[in-house]
Amino acid sequence: MTTHTKEEIILKAENVHLEYDNKTILRNINFSIKNIVRPGMEQGQVVSLIGRSGIGKTQLFKLLSGLQQPTSGHIHIQNDQPVRAGDMGVIFQNYYLFEWRTIHQSLMLAAKQNPALKGHETDAIKKSAADFELTDHLQKYPQQLSGGQRQRASIIQQLLKGSDFLLLDEPFSGLDACVLDKVVELLLQVSISDELKTLVIVSHDIATAIAISDTVFILGKEKDLPGATIKKEIDLIARDLAWQKNIKREKAFLETVEEIKNCL
Amino acid sequence: MKTIFQPFGKISKQAFIIMIVMQVMFALVFWHTTSNGLIPQPAKVAKAFFHLLSTRLLLDNILVSLALTVQAMLYSIVITLAFAYLSVIPFFKSIAQFLVKCRYLTLTGLIFIFTLLTKDGSQLKLSLLVFGIVPFFVTSFLSVILNIDKQEYELCKTLGYNNWQTLYEVIIVGKADAVFEILRQNFAISWLMITLVEGLNMSEGGIGTLLIKYNKYNDLTNVLALQLVIFLIGLLFDFLLGTTRQWLFPHTKIAIGGTK
Ligand SMILES: Nc1ncnc2c1ncn2[C@@H]1O[C@H](COP(=O)(O)OP(=O)(O)O)[C@@H](O)[C@H]1O
Ligand SMILES: [Mg+2]
Repeated sequence: MTTHTKEEIILKAENVHLEYDNKTILRNINFSIKNIVRPGMEQGQVVSLIGRSGIGKTQLFKLLSGLQQPTSGHIHIQNDQPVRAGDMGVIFQNYYLFEWRTIHQSLMLAAKQNPALKGHETDAIKKSAADFELTDHLQKYPQQLSGGQRQRASIIQQLLKGSDFLLLDEPFSGLDACVLDKVVELLLQVSISDELKTLVIVSHDIATAIAISDTVFILGKEKDLPGATIKKEIDLIARDLAWQKNIKREKAFLETVEEIKNCL
Repeated sequence: MKTIFQPFGKISKQAFIIMIVMQVMFALVFWHTTSNGLIPQPAKVAKAFFHLLSTRLLLDNILVSLALTVQAMLYSIVITLAFAYLSVIPFFKSIAQFLVKCRYLTLTGLIFIFTLLTKDGSQLKLSLLVFGIVPFFVTSFLSVILNIDKQEYELCKTLGYNNWQTLYEVIIVGKADAVFEILRQNFAISWLMITLVEGLNMSEGGIGTLLIKYNKYNDLTNVLALQLVIFLIGLLFDFLLGTTRQWLFPHTKIAIGGTK
């Protein structure tokens, strides 16, 4: 097992419950994400929330992002503050961007919100656009970008804002194989850019999600109980499946994928 | 040939133009053959139209009407924007919604009150026009605000914006292009009302006045020629406002281009 320690809790969901018209969508959600520390490097966290279609992943995503309040229960981030939308980097399933703003303008809006970038917003935009291969598209409008480019623009926008968390709803769906590899690569890069960077990936694509994660939470239904809850937590570090390239071909990885499938 | 009668049938631009030319010609031939002594034939109207164009009379009256319309539209859009932007604040929401309902008040019944309230004829015309236009503008703009995608607000929240910043980004900046579209769509209504209000105060002239005069003398040829002028000015404005919008807000052009 790779040397590491799990330190302070950086995100915690406590007894989170969500109902619509007395219909339970999410029930008794409890989990926490801890800061993982690896000697000699800045290691962020990558957590996957896996569940089948329609189970309530997007709903949980909205709660985690602070855009919506749970019916009961709490979601806290550092310093025990309840989560607010401005604290989280939120990347929607359709990579929404303001249609009346060029990519550069959209990125500038985000950079302006980040006190750490004060005075050198333009440089920061240039650098991240280069990192994400968007330099040639900065003067375009969102409608002029492909799905993959839009997604990258959306990710940069939320990164420039400067929050430690990056929540992504179904980031792998609708991308072709090449673009998929690229986004996986970029997410990994983001995850090691800062000790406290924490990616929460909501997905139904089990293999891709767990290949880049250190922890997996499985959202599913329990027998005879309403709504979905966290059925299982898998520590991929303990199984030696985290932080490794080309993990997808290994036997232990395939077994874990199978195990998760059976759990859904 | 078959596709022009099919739902969603696609025809080339060229074919579309040829089709329109043929339809117009058919309409003209139909008009020509069916009109008798009472209704002037197209050639006669065309002649009157070109004669009108060459007169100083027409130009002067058009300028009077246009000046009034443009002035009324400017006032109206300022009032509309104020109420529409404020409509996201509960206190002003009810007022904005009342303005929408004012579409059902006809101007004719209010002329006397407006006469009492205004100083002179030109003020009367302007205030009647503004009062007539604003409800339609507000209706259009409120529906734009109501149809805003929830994600636009959510993105603002993720950027840490407060409600005022959100109002600015999503509604004021984000829907600025809609202001032009509303001006364009409702120009027809202003243009329709101008002939009405100009009839109230004939001393200053205007196309409406001209139209009433020709009507009084049963000069149907000139009435139709003038109608044609009014129609063409309307189309010109439609075009100008549409083009200005695409020029000022390039993203609207892309959206239109994308659906082609
Ligand atoms: N506004 C709403 N009102 C009532 N039910 C909703 C609402 N939004 C989502 N749901 C329900 O919540 C469930 C979970 O939806 P969602 O989180 O989108 O699933 P997914 O896991 O595919 O992302 C679905 O059964 C859906 O019908
Ligand atoms: Mg979903």
